Amino acid sequence: MFPLDSPWNISFAGCGFLGIYHIGVASCLLEQAPFLVHNARHIYGASAGALTATAVVTGVCLGETGANIINVAKEARKRFLGPMHPSFNLVKIVRHMLRGTLPADCHELASGRLGISLTRVTDGENVLVSHFNSKEELVQACVCSAYIPVYCGLIPPTLQGVRYVDGGISDNLPQYELKNTITVSPFSGESDICPRDTSTNIHELRFTNTSIQFTLTNLYRVSRALFPPDPMIMKTMCKQGYKDALHFLKRNGLLNYNDPLRDRPMLANGEENEHDNVEEEESSEDNEGEELPHVEEGAVVVHSTFSEEEHIIVHLPPSLHKALIEACMERRSLVQSLRNLLLVRMASAMMVPYTLPLESAISLTLRYTNVFASSLLLEWLPDVHEDVEWMGEQTLKIMQHVFRQTSKSISQHMSARFSCQLELHHTQSLPSRFSSTNLFPTWVNRSSSSLQDVFRHLDKYKRQLMSGVLCINMDLQGSFETGPMSTNKRCPSITCTDGLIMHDCPEIAPAADAISSS
Amino acid sequence: MVVTGICQPMDPATSTAPIQNDCETESSSVWGWWPSWRPTSMSLLKTAESKILACIHSDLWARFVTLPNQDRIWTLTLTNKAVRKHAEQASKTPLVMVHGFGGGVGLWIRNLDALCRSRPVYAFDLLGFGRSSRPPFPSDAAKAEEQFVNSIEQWRQSVGLENMILLGHSLGGYLATSYAIQYPSRVSHLILVDPWGFPERPQTQTEGGQSQGTEVVKRPALPRWVKAVAAVVSLFNPLAVIRAAGPWGPGLVNRFRPDFKRKFEDLFDDDTMTQYIYHCNAQPPSGEVGFRAMSESLGWAKRPMLHRVHLLPPSMPLTMLYGEWSWVDNSSGDTVVQIRDQAHTRVKLINKASHHVYADQPEEFNRVVENICNSVN
Repeated sequence: MFPLDSPWNISFAGCGFLGIYHIGVASCLLEQAPFLVHNARHIYGASAGALTATAVVTGVCLGETGANIINVAKEARKRFLGPMHPSFNLVKIVRHMLRGTLPADCHELASGRLGISLTRVTDGENVLVSHFNSKEELVQACVCSAYIPVYCGLIPPTLQGVRYVDGGISDNLPQYELKNTITVSPFSGESDICPRDTSTNIHELRFTNTSIQFTLTNLYRVSRALFPPDPMIMKTMCKQGYKDALHFLKRNGLLNYNDPLRDRPMLANGEENEHDNVEEEESSEDNEGEELPHVEEGAVVVHSTFSEEEHIIVHLPPSLHKALIEACMERRSLVQSLRNLLLVRMASAMMVPYTLPLESAISLTLRYTNVFASSLLLEWLPDVHEDVEWMGEQTLKIMQHVFRQTSKSISQHMSARFSCQLELHHTQSLPSRFSSTNLFPTWVNRSSSSLQDVFRHLDKYKRQLMSGVLCINMDLQGSFETGPMSTNKRCPSITCTDGLIMHDCPEIAPAADAISSS
Repeated sequence: MVVTGICQPMDPATSTAPIQNDCETESSSVWGWWPSWRPTSMSLLKTAESKILACIHSDLWARFVTLPNQDRIWTLTLTNKAVRKHAEQASKTPLVMVHGFGGGVGLWIRNLDALCRSRPVYAFDLLGFGRSSRPPFPSDAAKAEEQFVNSIEQWRQSVGLENMILLGHSLGGYLATSYAIQYPSRVSHLILVDPWGFPERPQTQTEGGQSQGTEVVKRPALPRWVKAVAAVVSLFNPLAVIRAAGPWGPGLVNRFRPDFKRKFEDLFDDDTMTQYIYHCNAQPPSGEVGFRAMSESLGWAKRPMLHRVHLLPPSMPLTMLYGEWSWVDNSSGDTVVQIRDQAHTRVKLINKASHHVYADQPEEFNRVVENICNSVN
């Protein structure tokens, strides 16, 4: 029994396109135990979970949201590289989608109740945003939370002047540690509402708080999080969410808790089978033009928890069901079915090296003309300016970092070689006395021929040493004494005749001491 | 019998001191001078463990128990120092706790003190895990299981227990069941906490070769690449990643199992627990090899316990505890109830607990286990 005497929260995990699972869960909770959602103190979400959380808090029709997700997935699947294709602008689609669906007063509904997990770019810390001043801010928060770097683009979006990226990077399941948080995750693991795979694998990962059991089905799910599966599979995922949520309610005695008199007519098993058959028919109809594996994949998701939950009859709420069916059906146009022909697919795959640059060029141009066009409306211009500035800053930082790293590694390399040379003569204490950073800049400043010179000198030096094994101490001391002297004679901080740089004498003296003592 | 160790009151560090030499000799070899890729060693494990065991308030006796075949089992014995009537406590059947895969005695830290209030408690590192010896394991499932079970029986003989209340978690639950089947007279009550290896792998997959046609209808295959990945993964020992990661290993454990740190955060506010887990598993694999031999296709038991649970004597009381959130399918508990005599089998679900029931809900867990123990004597 879930303790209802203290305030509780609901937390939706980030999961990319598997967000459709959340829609199923949310619709079940709203239908079967609405008090659980309406009386929840906070509803949290990260990434895709944030979208569902927003929809739940603001009372948006879940069918519409689900259909939107499927439509985005379909859009992504149209292209060869899927969502990685340059002309697929996820951020834009999501923003457009949210602007269209959210009511005008959504920020008032959401403030204080909705918590969106974000990752601050500057320090990688997690930020839970729960106050929104305008609808646009809420939309932007959702966009930020779903912004997976590289996958969605390179320039992180801003919210209230701060750059954020995907909340899943720092905390994928906000506030899961509170005992009274109902955690929802489409990955089989130890969340309150999650699919139960029939696997007994002992290994389990925690991806920023989301428990993911190491099973094959989960592996498949993870791969599908960013590369959306077939719409039919997404629908079965949605159904799975509904089923798991129902199971959760039953387990905790929350089913019909508020209204025990309302006896939901449960259909008999036969009817369920019938229903499933209808489903199957639908899917087979739908996938006629497609290759077989997709159908199989869909079936896996259905069957993975089938044995356990057979007695629970799953019917998505009619509105959601209808919306999803419609979203799935659309694709049966002539062009689509032509596209799906094996030959055409192969041809387009082979053409990719040629078409891809062209398409990316076009999409880039479009994007920028778009930007310029909208800049007339003074909507994007400040953003663009900021973005460019930010990019400049970042590149500068990266370049500085790279330069520092390479110079460090080069100098290390140099000193390593240097010490190798000297170690040949069993004077191990010597190289440590030479600070590589002192050696480095002068060598770099000089041309490569001078570098060769240095090594030639070193060789000569080596031969000198070899010749006088017996009086090695004297030799070394002698040559070192000439070193600083010659340095002093010539201009300071330049190499001596022996090719060794000796800026300051104090560094040499202990080295010589060490050698003589050895 | 008992090799080293002294009966001491508080500080486990002193009790483990005499063993230090043994540890050092183990690691020294021709390559001893070579800097290790993995930042671990038996002595680091010992340090991490002693940090954990320092929390114990009862009388703790930690020692290696040497088995006839020279394998050594790291054993903790706890008795309540507040108990005046020592004789009475001695007459009670002791509780023996067997940890799960990749764990060690340290994980019981929140239970040991509470459970030893009325009776002595024994906890040991399974052969091939924790600080115990790490012998090679056969690749045959039955033989590997035999080796584990034999080590438990030999350990019992060496310690000199007549009978015990046997508690096993996860893999330990599987082995405890197997042990109870083979040596039923030694087990007064069997407690299984989220036991691994009970359900059978779904039939449709195993008989794939026989009826290809029907199989596709019933449970179709996952995408081929998933299977390929699984095939590659199953070539390695389960925790090979942690060892291969070398210096990044501890960070990996911290990153992907922060729950261990969280479960014990009221005891340790640093990385003690994840360090302990890391050092337990970064040692050369041994028990892992045995586990791999006993399991197939990412975690199913080759010899599922549901097939054998009827071999337990019907009169042996059995209690199965499951965590509410755990991924372990607690329906196998109900199946066990159906298979066995109902009067002696109980299944209990512990709320708000994951797979590591004993750490998530220690109070509830301790209470339940104590009640079970009191029902024995």
